[in-house]
Amino acid sequence: MSEGIGGSLIALGLVFAPLSLLSFGGGNAVIAEIAQQSIAVHHWTSEREFADLFALSRAAPGPGSMLATLIGWKVAGTPGALIATLAYYLPSALLVFGAARVWGRWRGSRWHNAIERGLAPIAAGLFLSGGIVVLRSSPAGWPVWAAAIVTTAALLRWPRLHPVPLLLAGAALFGLLALGP
Amino acid sequence: MPHPEERPGGACLEGRTAPAPSVPSIGLARIFAAFLRIGCTSFGGGTAGWLYRDMVLKRGWIDEPTFLSDLALGQAIPGSIGVNLTVQIGQRLRGAAGAVAALVGLLAGPFAIMLGVGAAYAGFGEHRILQQMLDGVAAAVIGLTLATGLHSLRHSRPGVTGVMLAAATVVCVGVLRWPMLPVVAVLAPFGIALALIQPRRP
Repeated sequence: MSEGIGGSLIALGLVFAPLSLLSFGGGNAVIAEIAQQSIAVHHWTSEREFADLFALSRAAPGPGSMLATLIGWKVAGTPGALIATLAYYLPSALLVFGAARVWGRWRGSRWHNAIERGLAPIAAGLFLSGGIVVLRSSPAGWPVWAAAIVTTAALLRWPRLHPVPLLLAGAALFGLLALGP
Repeated sequence: MPHPEERPGGACLEGRTAPAPSVPSIGLARIFAAFLRIGCTSFGGGTAGWLYRDMVLKRGWIDEPTFLSDLALGQAIPGSIGVNLTVQIGQRLRGAAGAVAALVGLLAGPFAIMLGVGAAYAGFGEHRILQQMLDGVAAAVIGLTLATGLHSLRHSRPGVTGVMLAAATVVCVGVLRWPMLPVVAVLAPFGIALALIQPRRP
């Protein structure tokens, strides 16, 4: 926070660009690390603010982790949002652009299969870690744990449930709780 | 109907070859507009599913085997799956310029919305009811994240070693909160080596 705006922008780039290349299986894989960096390492957000920005980034449309954009905005306004977004999306986009040609030739090869299969459990573990870290940093306590577990169970039971009604139901339920005693 | 979101492991797509796509001549403005629309309407994550419905079913710009092949690569490479698919589809439609038009189109809408959301949060974020509602949204999103993780773990048929690897990742990153980079750097070679020496489960 003591760093000037230029320093903040550089810090945003240095945090999000490597995460871009580490988000195996999608943006969910790096949520745990984004939380760690913005709460504990750089003090960009409090735990409360991180939980709020996380929820906001998911309630809005777009590809998953517009969380980077929101954190960038929180740190340094529109330039911060722009830098964080570019840093978070550009490296992996360039990688997939370059890899698309090479990959086609390798399809079905032993190494190709081994990389795909070998990284799958780690990606799944990172997804689960992301959920756990946000749960633990949420200041709202047991109601959030309970609702998260119910949602997980419901989605495992009925995988075709659409996410949007779930988000709305969560907002409505907790909003009503706030109106109560 | 194969539904992209039910294939998080990507492993079921192995061996499929991507046929040479018949590339229609589609202008950059149309590519940008199509992806702008997808970006603004893909609520609830799962951009891959929205892309499938729009690009394959509605517009027919990409045929299904090509889409599934791109999806498999999009999952194997780091980055948001929706963004990775967008880059590949844009590239197929119009080369590098197409990829840029598609990517900027996809992100422009959500980016603008995020700026609005951020400003609104700065103004009203302290309200108790709003915070409670955000907690509710967060709980549902966490449920989505956990369910996706469990679903993709089951889908990849990991075996005992794979489950142990996933559990080790959860303990290191989720519970102990170790930094992700060294954890992945240590575990990834294990995972790939195990996949190399183990015969694939049918």
